[in-house]
Amino acid sequence: MNAPEIQIKNISMVYPVNNGKDIVALNDVNFDIQEGEFISLLGPSGCGKTTLLRIIADLLQPTSGSVAIRGQSPREIRRQHKYGIVFQSPVLYDWRTVRRNICMPMEIIGIPKKERTARINRMLDLVGLQDFGSKYPFELSGGMQQRVGIARALALDPEFLLMDEPFSALDEFTREKLNEDLLSIWSKTKKTVIFVTHNIPESVFLSDRVVVLSPHPGRISAIVDVDLPRPRQNSIRETSEFYEYVTKIRRSFEGV
Amino acid sequence: MIGKKDQRIVAIVWTIGIIVAWELSSYLLKYVLHDPMASTKLPFPQIVAMTFLENWKTLLEAGAVTFSRAAIGFALGASVGILLAVIMSLSKTMERIAFPYLIVSQMIPVLGLAPIIFNIVRDMNVSRIVIAAYITFFPVSVNMLSGLKSVEQDKKDLLFSIAANKFQVYQKLMFPFSMSYLFTGLKIAAPMAVTASILVDMLGSQSGIGVKILYALYSNSANIFWASVFTSAFMGIISFYIVIFVERLCLPWKNADPRKDGVRA
Repeated sequence: MNAPEIQIKNISMVYPVNNGKDIVALNDVNFDIQEGEFISLLGPSGCGKTTLLRIIADLLQPTSGSVAIRGQSPREIRRQHKYGIVFQSPVLYDWRTVRRNICMPMEIIGIPKKERTARINRMLDLVGLQDFGSKYPFELSGGMQQRVGIARALALDPEFLLMDEPFSALDEFTREKLNEDLLSIWSKTKKTVIFVTHNIPESVFLSDRVVVLSPHPGRISAIVDVDLPRPRQNSIRETSEFYEYVTKIRRSFEGV
Repeated sequence: MIGKKDQRIVAIVWTIGIIVAWELSSYLLKYVLHDPMASTKLPFPQIVAMTFLENWKTLLEAGAVTFSRAAIGFALGASVGILLAVIMSLSKTMERIAFPYLIVSQMIPVLGLAPIIFNIVRDMNVSRIVIAAYITFFPVSVNMLSGLKSVEQDKKDLLFSIAANKFQVYQKLMFPFSMSYLFTGLKIAAPMAVTASILVDMLGSQSGIGVKILYALYSNSANIFWASVFTSAFMGIISFYIVIFVERLCLPWKNADPRKDGVRA
């Protein structure tokens, strides 16, 4: 196996509170992520999974510990535009059409106009929104909005796709459809994905490995390898292997 | 939610209602109460309308003088207001320094301020512009600042994650996001700027609709007085609708969005 692409070492995050009882969001978290891997950070509210993602994304600075990405800091990686982030809400700019939302990151880093158009078309194809390019975000359903969010995150062809509970606000049917589509996008783009979720079946379905976090203080309670065959379709959810992984992860929460 | 057709009906009912009420009041004053000053106090609407039609050229000329100065002042005040909002949004310290004084500035009555400004600049046009700008900048600034401060953190994080610089953050996010807030401020300010300009007319100007109102009042010509008042009112309303028109041109996504309830005309 190659050297790990992302090394998370002794990460702790403490939020100071006025009454003296500081909140420990993360306590000494250690793990590695391999290149091209699909990793889920799974856990209940308050386990620090979003905090961890934000530390990796350089949106937060840890109290102690370090994240090394091919030997570089998150800040350096961010400045090289190697992160694509998908948030919990789609975070689309209401005043821009779908096309122009996807275009926005390319404007920021100054990609030539001609190439922008080509890339937008490719992104729309990838997320299956070919016919919706000229719509405004409010004209789209929640699932479609999140597809735009994914397309925008991939527009700069980043190496790391960081997703913070992107499907948690969607209904179950839309969620499962988008899970499947996300895997097909991932297989085409070969990004390293870090996916935050509180949904056990979702984490099993998507991931190569599930990092299970438990709260108070946030720490890793288990790392589960998911050896289900790929490519995975939603029918895999009906297999007993799938069920066993779900059960195994659920049990790891018992006694927490 | 009221549909477009219902809105039109409401508008028509209101217009007719006001004319009828006015007609009745004038009638009451003159023929029932036998007020000898009835035609001065409240002339019949059709007489005011006739007066307007007979004098429309002078009235509109006077109106144009006042309105154009108000418009220049409005543009100036809006620019200053936007600039102040941006400065305050860039620096918390600047906001803490400037904001209390912005509020204090609005406690000075324009009626008192206008003669002071005139005494300094000694020019009616400049006074009109300055006062209109003075009235305009505050609602514009406060609304714009509130818009700039309402931008969601996620939207900023998104730009941060692709290492956008401060200028790009304002260009791509802060300004477009704040536009609807800005237009709220502009809608409040536009009729106020017109009013301010009329007020300055009355301080001894040679021209302008305010002068017409004042002279008509002194010379007891009630019909001209009312026609002038209506011209002023029209100017205020028109200024408001011009802002709405520009807003529609500038914010196409907002008009089409059925979830957002704004001022719709």
